[in-house]
Amino acid sequence: MKTATRINPTPSPSLRLALPALLGLVVLLPLRAQEPTTPPTTGHGSFTIVHVAKARRQTADHSKFKILKGPFKDSDGPAVTRACLTCHMKAAEQVMATSHWTWNVAKDGKDGYGKSTHLVNNYCISIIGGNTEGCARCHAGYGFKDKSFDFTKQENVDCLVCHDTTGDYEKEKGGLPNPAVPLAEVAQKVGAPSNRNCGVCHFFGGGGDATKHGDLDDTILKAPRAEDVHLSKQGAGMDCIDCHASDAHKVGGPNYVIPADRREQAKFAGESISRMSCAACHTVAPHKSYILNRHYQKVACQTCHIPAYARGTLPTNTYWDWASAGRLKNGRGYKEEDANGFETYNSIHGEMIWARNVRPSYVWYNGNLKFTQLTDTITVPANGKVVLNPAVGAYPDPEAKIWPFKLHEATQPYDTERMTFVAPYTSGPKGSGAYWGDWNWEVAIRMGMTTAGLPYSGKFGFVKTTMLWPITHMVAPKEQALACVECHAQKGRLAQVSGFYLLGRDRGTGVDRLGFGMILLTLFGVGIHAFIRTLHGHH
Amino acid sequence: MRRIVLYEAFERFWHWAQALLILTMMLTGFEVRGLGLHIFGFQRAVALHNILAVTLVTLIVFAIFWHVTTGEWRQYIPTRKFLREMIAFYVTGIFKGAPHPVRKHRMAKLNPLQRLAYLGFKVLIIPVQITTGALYYIYPNLQHSLSWPPASLWFIAVVHTLGAFGLVAFLIGHVYLTTTGHTPLTNIKAMLTGWEDIEDDAYFDEE
Repeated sequence: MKTATRINPTPSPSLRLALPALLGLVVLLPLRAQEPTTPPTTGHGSFTIVHVAKARRQTADHSKFKILKGPFKDSDGPAVTRACLTCHMKAAEQVMATSHWTWNVAKDGKDGYGKSTHLVNNYCISIIGGNTEGCARCHAGYGFKDKSFDFTKQENVDCLVCHDTTGDYEKEKGGLPNPAVPLAEVAQKVGAPSNRNCGVCHFFGGGGDATKHGDLDDTILKAPRAEDVHLSKQGAGMDCIDCHASDAHKVGGPNYVIPADRREQAKFAGESISRMSCAACHTVAPHKSYILNRHYQKVACQTCHIPAYARGTLPTNTYWDWASAGRLKNGRGYKEEDANGFETYNSIHGEMIWARNVRPSYVWYNGNLKFTQLTDTITVPANGKVVLNPAVGAYPDPEAKIWPFKLHEATQPYDTERMTFVAPYTSGPKGSGAYWGDWNWEVAIRMGMTTAGLPYSGKFGFVKTTMLWPITHMVAPKEQALACVECHAQKGRLAQVSGFYLLGRDRGTGVDRLGFGMILLTLFGVGIHAFIRTLHGHH
Repeated sequence: MRRIVLYEAFERFWHWAQALLILTMMLTGFEVRGLGLHIFGFQRAVALHNILAVTLVTLIVFAIFWHVTTGEWRQYIPTRKFLREMIAFYVTGIFKGAPHPVRKHRMAKLNPLQRLAYLGFKVLIIPVQITTGALYYIYPNLQHSLSWPPASLWFIAVVHTLGAFGLVAFLIGHVYLTTTGHTPLTNIKAMLTGWEDIEDDAYFDEE
């Protein structure tokens, strides 16, 4: 587990980066002016088009606006937002309608999907047991501490976390700006979100770099082509927002609500196919081979084109054992690290396993994951592992495809009498009752459930859980796409994916035995016949 | 004893092209099935298998045209005449050096057993293989519109595979029986050159 401070990109590396980048631009710009059609990479020509368009998109030089010169008091994010709203008067209203603000996404007309809901996961479990303030470091707002947060106050919207272009902006507990951030400077240099803006939160899900998703971590910012063919500067050099297009601040892509549409169904007005789908750029038939193209019906592009996740230098968390948390040395928490500096044990969350270059798990998936909520009654299956978000889909389902997933395993606390998961109060100082302060599950769970307003029997235990995280980033160059026999083989990647006939995998030994029997019998008969012929010396 | 062209040029071309096509399809087919062959590599084996299938069907269309227009199709009309004798010949006679009970004739170059075997090959094994192969190929296009049960592809594959094994067995028997001529290579030579020695007292008198 990386420490939480890594969430904030420190100003100095960005400055170190900026200088060579600027020099590079000075050299490149005249060249580009001469040959605007020549793509600067071996990959897609789209790089040039995308980036020229981006430069043109800016119609205002924000450093010329008096109101952005401040001065702003340290940490006074709302003051900056008020300044933004003098021109962009509808922006906050728009943001407030999005999941970046509500942390509560509606699905099929029902809300309840998102961090501020009863949803439960098997990393940090839940924020609603009193952990909101620490987790709100990644909320696109200011002052989100608990349920009392005013979701209607426009000045609480954080414009800078997504629009900072300096890399100097960082957030603290409750989402307020770090007092060291020069707010006026940052405000004068706002622009379209870059990968860094998205990454300050989305690379650090689960509390640390690379922890949660497996296909998202900050190595993507400097990824070689082999790690991510789209986002790498040696690849297509794309930005997150090139696919995650937005409409009125609504950024495409909330994971909870992918409808059963294989991500392709148009999401915004004017789209014929979702910008987020591979097919939006690559078409539904990108291969020369008709047979490869037909795989599209039943196999997600990601399945072949992302041979492994966590392909950067950082490992992702694959196992999180809350049950072993709380071992103390001299009454204090401690941690143990492996040779590469990754935590194999930390008293605050127990034993952990980290892995790089992990082969995904493959599952039939029609776009629906059935998430578990704190209010759901659970049944522990025979193998002892509760699947928190089983994927919906099967071979006969025309919407379902074989998708790659990161399988995350954990143990986590649950109410052994009510058979529900619990939301412990984890993040807090000594004496607060929080688990990380006082090391008492009994108290932490009771307090958490009280804060969450949920019933708790008082009896808890730990149960093994698994979660599926769809893998879709870190697309590899085509040379690294899976060969046929990775799946079309008896012990291939799809050995566990059932319900259909797969060439090369399903031999149906009886059929082959019958066939070989037929051949052997023929050979035997022919052999006997030939033998008798030679015995008699006749042809 | 006369020497005549028993197998015409097209017939020989058809026979050997078909043999080559079927042999290569056996290799590619068994490779993609995962029976331990690694000759072409999976992707090339699949592509080759499909291309050869189309080639073979084209060849068969020409062959049918040839059989119909030349009347050669009559060679495959099954007959009971000498059937018992043929079976007796292969079961006992051949070991004793008994003469072949059926003489070849320009208009009856196949013995009753050959007629049965080749007719079965033409109207049973090959059509089953072409049908199941085509169904397998178009399965992804049709499965949802025709709402076939999920096990359909498995069933198609099983029939196609059994047909393929049947073809191997046929090939073994077929090649072995070519060695039962005057000398072990007589029949193969005839199929290559077209020329065959015909005894004058053939059971069909020439008109």
